[in-house]
Amino acid sequence: MKEVRLDKNEMPYPPPKEVTGAAKEASEDLHRYSPPQKRRLLRELISDYARVPVKHVVLGAGSEFLLREVIQTFSVKRKVVTISPSFFPTLEAAKRYGKELVRIRLTPPEFRLDEDLLLEELTGPSLVILDNPNNPTGQLLVDEETVKAILESEDSLLLIDEAYYEFSEVTFAGLVSKYPNIAITRTFAKGFSLAGARLGYMLGGEDFLEYLSSICTFLSKPSLLAGVKALQAREYVRENVTIIVKERRKLKEGLEKLDVDVYPTETNFLLFHTGLSDLGSKLKSKGVIVDDLSNTWLPGYVRVTVGKPEENGLFLSEIEDMISTLT
Amino acid sequence: MLNVGLIVNPIAGMGGSVGLKGTDGDMYRKAKDLGAQPKTPKRTRDFLSEITEVEDVRFLVAPAQMGEDYIQDFGFDVDVLGDVEKETTATDTKKIAGEMVEKGIDLLVFVGGDGTCRDILDSVGTQVPVVSVPAGVKVFSSAFAVSPRAAAKMVDRFVEGPDLTKQEVLDIDEDAFRNDKLASRLYGYLLVPELNQYLQEGKEASGTDQTSVKNKEEIAKYVAESFEEDLLYLLGPGTTLEAIAQELNVEKTLLGIDAVKDSRLERNDVNEKDILDLLQEYKKVKIIVTPIGGNGFIFGRGSKQFTPEVIKRVGPDNVMIVGDKAKVNGLHALRVDTGDAELDELLSRHVKVIVGRDETMLMEVRS
Repeated sequence: MKEVRLDKNEMPYPPPKEVTGAAKEASEDLHRYSPPQKRRLLRELISDYARVPVKHVVLGAGSEFLLREVIQTFSVKRKVVTISPSFFPTLEAAKRYGKELVRIRLTPPEFRLDEDLLLEELTGPSLVILDNPNNPTGQLLVDEETVKAILESEDSLLLIDEAYYEFSEVTFAGLVSKYPNIAITRTFAKGFSLAGARLGYMLGGEDFLEYLSSICTFLSKPSLLAGVKALQAREYVRENVTIIVKERRKLKEGLEKLDVDVYPTETNFLLFHTGLSDLGSKLKSKGVIVDDLSNTWLPGYVRVTVGKPEENGLFLSEIEDMISTLT
Repeated sequence: MLNVGLIVNPIAGMGGSVGLKGTDGDMYRKAKDLGAQPKTPKRTRDFLSEITEVEDVRFLVAPAQMGEDYIQDFGFDVDVLGDVEKETTATDTKKIAGEMVEKGIDLLVFVGGDGTCRDILDSVGTQVPVVSVPAGVKVFSSAFAVSPRAAAKMVDRFVEGPDLTKQEVLDIDEDAFRNDKLASRLYGYLLVPELNQYLQEGKEASGTDQTSVKNKEEIAKYVAESFEEDLLYLLGPGTTLEAIAQELNVEKTLLGIDAVKDSRLERNDVNEKDILDLLQEYKKVKIIVTPIGGNGFIFGRGSKQFTPEVIKRVGPDNVMIVGDKAKVNGLHALRVDTGDAELDELLSRHVKVIVGRDETMLMEVRS
């Protein structure tokens, strides 16, 4: 039985041949380090793509890696304020290095972040970490007014993860040149179809750059060259995202027809709630893998990645079968 | 017009404040001897006063203290069914519930605890949908509404014809519970309106996996280190509190409330009166509680010795909440249902739950 993986929020479509070709070509030459001019080129291409001056661009082996660097560097003397749920595995690092960790719980069914609660926490040196849109709820948590209020509060650093920027098209990158205390992390893993490359970047304000601007040497050559080519051929990203957004709507409608509660999303996944028990393992036995959050978060909540039309169709028909056997 | 049956168990919840953890069997008399007052009249009135669709509901109520005594002031169209002695028993509940179904009610409402819930299930099964108003000591079954007010909203919304679902009824062994053991088994399912926002989640067993145990130890060490001299701590029930007591080398009753000061056990298994006496003696007091896994209650389920009077005297700002991450992550929100609407309102805010060393979760409290 062939597995359909709808659990990792990856793109179901690979990047164009020229992108994978660049990685292949680089792997023929692995006895040599990455050429520095290619790193510079990648930073320039990101600068152009994100519309942020190149000096603010920091490369990293995935946005998770950059986040860990930020936590290790800044949390020792700062209170880390973040939200729950969120998918930052390295937040555990804040426990090891950090002074204090406060998670603000997003409460169903709205999963709204109460800005006042967040601002009340910023009474001393703080590091605020948010994902916008949030994973797993799929929703945007902050607007520009809130972001500015955080940035203008007493001694706060703010890191916003925009892993799903290609889907949400909402960014605070424009604030990086104006505020020294903001950093944005992004990844090539989602919209750019390069999850396996582990390639990410940070758009950092001056406070972050002072400590983190020299960490790009950890990039592997195939990832670096794939990233360069991906940005040079970036029209494919827009095309794939358009397809996924269309499929996302169909998937949402399909679930709603089955009387399942589906939450709004600005990403390539959907969060839904169902009374069907053990949905994750039941789907797995049918070869469809989703992220059942019942054991790690709230019972009955499931996250499903938007896949290809046939994959989404299989997922829906399996759920429909389960419901029909119950009624 | 919606025909609703109403049955009140007049002795439900009486064991709570006196620390008896229930009124099954002979415990009702013991509770009475200890000065326990009936709890259900107020819970019933709280429920009835919150129903807004008064003109769309016709009540068929059990007689006297089983319903009739509390309903007159609310403007409902009411019929009374049968008669009862001065002291009522489970047999009355079962008999009247069965007769109400025979009369053709659309919905049955009862006010009581887990024991009453089992009596209703024994009598009516899934013949009729049921709204369960929480008024017992433990109230762990997921068939219950989160509060009398939520139960009233379920009745209001029932007029719209919601879907029905089956919810668990638990059998809690009260003798074991009194001996500090939580032994529960699934007794059956009641048919309830599918209005999940008003229903409480069932109690989940405490996490015993290695991660949860280590997390509890971490919390216990951190909290024990933070204990202040000359402060009296009232430790609520649960395994996280037990871990704190162990850290302090104090023997704790798992399901009761114990008073600790300067790492010494002052009194164990205290009831409301004991606590109020202690509050006379000690001016600086803190309550430490952990939410019930699955439904998130910090007050109003299982630890009724923390009465509204006790919580008010200690003060909401002197309540410390602790919980391991696996449990806390599985909660929608924290909940309170103290029986005092004003206090519930006061407690309904955002509070920090200690989930590790220097680690907190800022959570909403709902009533």
